[in-house]
Amino acid sequence: MKRFALILSLVMALAAGFGCAKKTADSYDDGLTPEMRAAIQQITDARVYFAFDKFDIKPEYKDLLRNKADLIKKYASIRVRIEGNCDERGTQEYNLALGERRARAAYEYLVTLGVNPGQLEMISYGKENPAVQGSGESAWSKNRRDDFRVVAH
Amino acid sequence: MKKIAIFLAFGLWMACTDAAWAALRVDIYGPGQNIVNLALATPIKGAQNEAAGMGQNLQQLVEQNLNILPFMRLTSPKAVLGGTLMAGYEPPNFDFKRFQLAGSDIVVTTFWPDGDSGTKTVQMRAFETNTGGRLFGKVYERVTSKDLPEVADRFCADLLEVLTGNGAFFRSTLAFVKKTGIMSANVWLVKPTGRDLRQITNMPGEALSPAWSPDGRFVVFSHIDPKSHALGIWDHSNGKVQRIRFPGNVVIGPAFMPDNKVAVALSNGKYPVIFQLNHVFQKERVLEQSDAINVSPTFDRTGTKMAFTSSRLGGPQIFLKDLGSGSITRVSKNGSYNTEANLSHDGTLVVYSRMTDFGHRIFVQDMITGAERQISFGPGSDEQPSFCADSYFIAFASSRGGGRGIYLTTRHGGDAKQVPTGGGLAAFPRWSMPAAQK
Repeated sequence: MKRFALILSLVMALAAGFGCAKKTADSYDDGLTPEMRAAIQQITDARVYFAFDKFDIKPEYKDLLRNKADLIKKYASIRVRIEGNCDERGTQEYNLALGERRARAAYEYLVTLGVNPGQLEMISYGKENPAVQGSGESAWSKNRRDDFRVVAH
Repeated sequence: MKKIAIFLAFGLWMACTDAAWAALRVDIYGPGQNIVNLALATPIKGAQNEAAGMGQNLQQLVEQNLNILPFMRLTSPKAVLGGTLMAGYEPPNFDFKRFQLAGSDIVVTTFWPDGDSGTKTVQMRAFETNTGGRLFGKVYERVTSKDLPEVADRFCADLLEVLTGNGAFFRSTLAFVKKTGIMSANVWLVKPTGRDLRQITNMPGEALSPAWSPDGRFVVFSHIDPKSHALGIWDHSNGKVQRIRFPGNVVIGPAFMPDNKVAVALSNGKYPVIFQLNHVFQKERVLEQSDAINVSPTFDRTGTKMAFTSSRLGGPQIFLKDLGSGSITRVSKNGSYNTEANLSHDGTLVVYSRMTDFGHRIFVQDMITGAERQISFGPGSDEQPSFCADSYFIAFASSRGGGRGIYLTTRHGGDAKQVPTGGGLAAFPRWSMPAAQK
């Protein structure tokens, strides 16, 4: 009986431990205010898309970048990596260069809008990191893009 | 008068020798490439005594090697009346007539004087069947079963050199990348025959564009991880891999120059610029820059000519720069998307891939005649062509078999043969430069 009580208390202690862990995980303390978390979401969610073999920012993405610029300027601790990507049709080495140009186009636009260059970094993945698998214009058009990733806050 | 007679006799002898030699030369570079019929005599360890152990294995390896050569037709043993098992391995105990009658131009004999098991010596000879003249002979000592592939490669390299003037193909090793997932690829090596397959890097991230140093010590490559581009360097002398970062965002398409220095496209302001690095992989000088993308440098064996891809006219096209004078000429004149140039070692040809409605195809531009020729026709996409040091064979990546694999063709095109790479998606084949390592 005594042994049973001991085991029971051990199980309860373990359960309590797991409960605590879950609670901690649920209330994941990343130091972010809800507003900042929403800002990060806005910065990372919306992508900029490009035409084939082009790296100029289309007019329809300028408002989106303006919004990102405002948010990045508002939160000076945020650091954003702009990731340039291409579709599968081009060749790999040229696409790495093209992806860099796409990332740089967004970078330069954000900087002209007053974003501190120290808050931005760039990388090109060429066609190595497609957002969508498959061939055809519907997949290709989704892969010719800039992704925005918050890497520090 | 006596002197004249001696000169005449000497001249006649030289002419006869040259005539026999000329008949056996294979002009792999000209448009009318001829076919050579070659027979393999049964390997022997004594008169009429077949070598069935290592002898048989070596015979198979030589046969596999020679089957890769597009200008070589192997004579079926069944076509040789009286069979290919001979009393000897050279005249006078060798009957050339039966090989002549079978249509063979050349016959190869293999003799194992001390038997063919354990560690033994093997003698290999190649003869011209019409005259019985020996083209060359080689002795390989202390041969074990493990050495047989190397013996086969060395013999075939020498045979190729006698016939075409260049045996680089069988002395080369291909570096290539094998992809294992999204943003995951490592560098491997393999002989063009598919032998000696091995992985040389094991890094998270994606390796691209491997390139050999002329002395065979290093393989450099672009390496991309989620955060950065870098120059990867594998050192053959110790098997170690370094990852060197540069200021800026890109490290694209490194290539070695003949003096063992690396050229690579790096960021420098708005566009990638082709830099030459010094021997410790630091920026030394700009090889090419403009207000456009400039990537994928490739050099002839003198290092005075550089082909590269540039978007200076809008879409990507191939250009050739004379590094002495600085003059630049456009190489690719057709199509709107030409990339991945590779300059032949003799500097006369540029091979590149062109985007078509059916995928990429490989084209060769003759820099002397100005003629362009399509040498690959799919299906799938044919990319990343690379010249062997003989300026004849071309390796490329193709998706014709479903997943991407490495294939071999020649400057004249023709049927492509796949290089076995042990499964998985293989791309970016690049040849070592054995001529420079001699």
